[in-house]
Amino acid sequence: MQTVIKTEGLSKTYTNTAVPVHALKDISLEFKEGEFTAIVGPSGSGKTTFLNVIGGLDKPTKGKVVIDDVDIATMKESQLFDFRLRHIGFVFQAYNLIPVLTAIENVSFIMLLQKKPKKEMEARAREMLEQVGLSDKLHERPSRLSGGQQQRVAVARALASKPDFVLADEPTANLDTKSAFNLLDIMARLNKEENITLIFSTHDQRVIDRARRVITLVDGAVDKDEHIDKD
Amino acid sequence: MTTLMIISWRNIWRNRTRTLVIITALILGIMGGVFSAAMRLAAEEQQFEDTVENMISHIQIHHPEFIANPEAQYRIPDGEAIAGDIRGQNGIASVSARLVFDGMAASANMNAGVRIKGVDSEDEARTTKLDELLEEGSYFTEEWRLPSVIIGRALAKELLVETGSRIVLTFQDIDGGIVSSSFRVEALYAVTSRRFEERTVFVKAGVLQELAGEPGAVTEIAILLDDVDRYREATDELRAEYPGLEVRHWADMDPTLHYSLELLDQLLIYLVGIIILGVSFGLLNTILMSILERVRELGVMLSIGMKRLKVFFMVVVETTMIAILGGVAGLILSFFMIRFLNHRGVHIPGGEGLEDFGFAAVLYPDLPTSFYFEIGGVVILFAILASIYPAWKAIRLAPAEAVRQE
Repeated sequence: MQTVIKTEGLSKTYTNTAVPVHALKDISLEFKEGEFTAIVGPSGSGKTTFLNVIGGLDKPTKGKVVIDDVDIATMKESQLFDFRLRHIGFVFQAYNLIPVLTAIENVSFIMLLQKKPKKEMEARAREMLEQVGLSDKLHERPSRLSGGQQQRVAVARALASKPDFVLADEPTANLDTKSAFNLLDIMARLNKEENITLIFSTHDQRVIDRARRVITLVDGAVDKDEHIDKD
Repeated sequence: MTTLMIISWRNIWRNRTRTLVIITALILGIMGGVFSAAMRLAAEEQQFEDTVENMISHIQIHHPEFIANPEAQYRIPDGEAIAGDIRGQNGIASVSARLVFDGMAASANMNAGVRIKGVDSEDEARTTKLDELLEEGSYFTEEWRLPSVIIGRALAKELLVETGSRIVLTFQDIDGGIVSSSFRVEALYAVTSRRFEERTVFVKAGVLQELAGEPGAVTEIAILLDDVDRYREATDELRAEYPGLEVRHWADMDPTLHYSLELLDQLLIYLVGIIILGVSFGLLNTILMSILERVRELGVMLSIGMKRLKVFFMVVVETTMIAILGGVAGLILSFFMIRFLNHRGVHIPGGEGLEDFGFAAVLYPDLPTSFYFEIGGVVILFAILASIYPAWKAIRLAPAEAVRQE
């Protein structure tokens, strides 16, 4: 399998605090195409910082993040915007849909920024919403959807533009068990069908149980990296 | 682009009450500004028309000594020929050559000091519209045995006379001798200046020239221009052409009026400026509040790859949309408000007392259509300026932090 993301000696230190905080310490990891990975660890272990850094939302203090043979840590901000738009899908903890757009408009939004043709964009958005079981909610705004439904729209949005990988920061944290399982089923299926690399940060045992690789961070460093055979 | 416009449009209606409040503030601000401007223009036009166009004209020419000593001996040499030359020049609407000097008017009961103006009735009608200012009587058409005089309404009250009454005008002829002659009051004119009404009487030039002892004598040439805005250039040209004569424009002759109009202009600029600034800050506050309320959403937009320039543009479009809504509604309402007030007139409280100083008690506000477009443009310009700070705040957000904001 092809390596999608490679980090080398990744460190991140926050110096804008009273005492410097070493959020990431010398992390070197590789993520292969189609992997379903959970980043776990206690609060403050650096899960979110790790996702932010490999997602190009934050810059490392030291080290490399190589995606498609390019070290994104050296990219300018404007290049990073473009890179995120074309290569990465994001799912956030608090759904974070654009409230004034309908479900189908939210899913189309990234493709719109990518300047995809309108017909192709609409067809793909419909297809993704069907895949997450929301074909009857295409024109509903987020305020009229449940938490679970909103998070499914967020997943459809993240996957619609066929990114190289999807970063999900505690996607099930605000969901009840039924919605969480439903969402995980959908993500597992899409991971297989679309061969999209999924990387989660999570505390949620339900997510951890589904993952085929679990990386445990403690105090910003990799404590364990386990590959779990599900077959 | 279209989706950004749709997002902007929907965003402004997320908090309907707040948007409606700021739109109402915009409407009221614009109506206030338009009303002030229309009243200022009406006051200026009324004062200008009454004082300058009906009384002193745009430019006057005299003998240099005449200003201090308005006597018949200070005549303009070849006055009628000079008036004829000026009449033929480009940019001149009309010229009235007059024989003017001070004298006394006496009725059977009272007398008063007056300025006697001997005029050509047609030239005077073209220059000061004296024929249109008559409140009663006719304009130099009566064929009485006594020559006609047209006096002000206020002077008629003072002398206790009416149309048809006989009055005696006494003055010095060109040799300094005292001349008295009877006239019959043919008409009473009315202007907003009580002082002018009390002080100025009109007779036919030929009659006065004969009485003064010199046919064709001229002491004053009053000039009305096609374009009043050219008054300074036209005055300079006439000064160069007639270096031996005193050429003055209306602002020289009535500096008080000139400064009061300038003051009104300045006050209007300050007033409209304050209104627009106030409304702009209200708009800035509204948009800033709206930005601070959706930090997380903006963080998501920036995270997924929406460029900062597009976010900036979205905020500017939102503000501009509010400005356009409030601006268009404000201008339409202002247009109908001015139409209504122009028809009905605006009564100035205590205005009757100001008539002595040339101010009308009732003003009829009006504005050229171009003004509405200009003020609309200014409102949109200030809205765009007001959106810069909130838009800057929006694009300064760090996406990773913004998406986690509660």
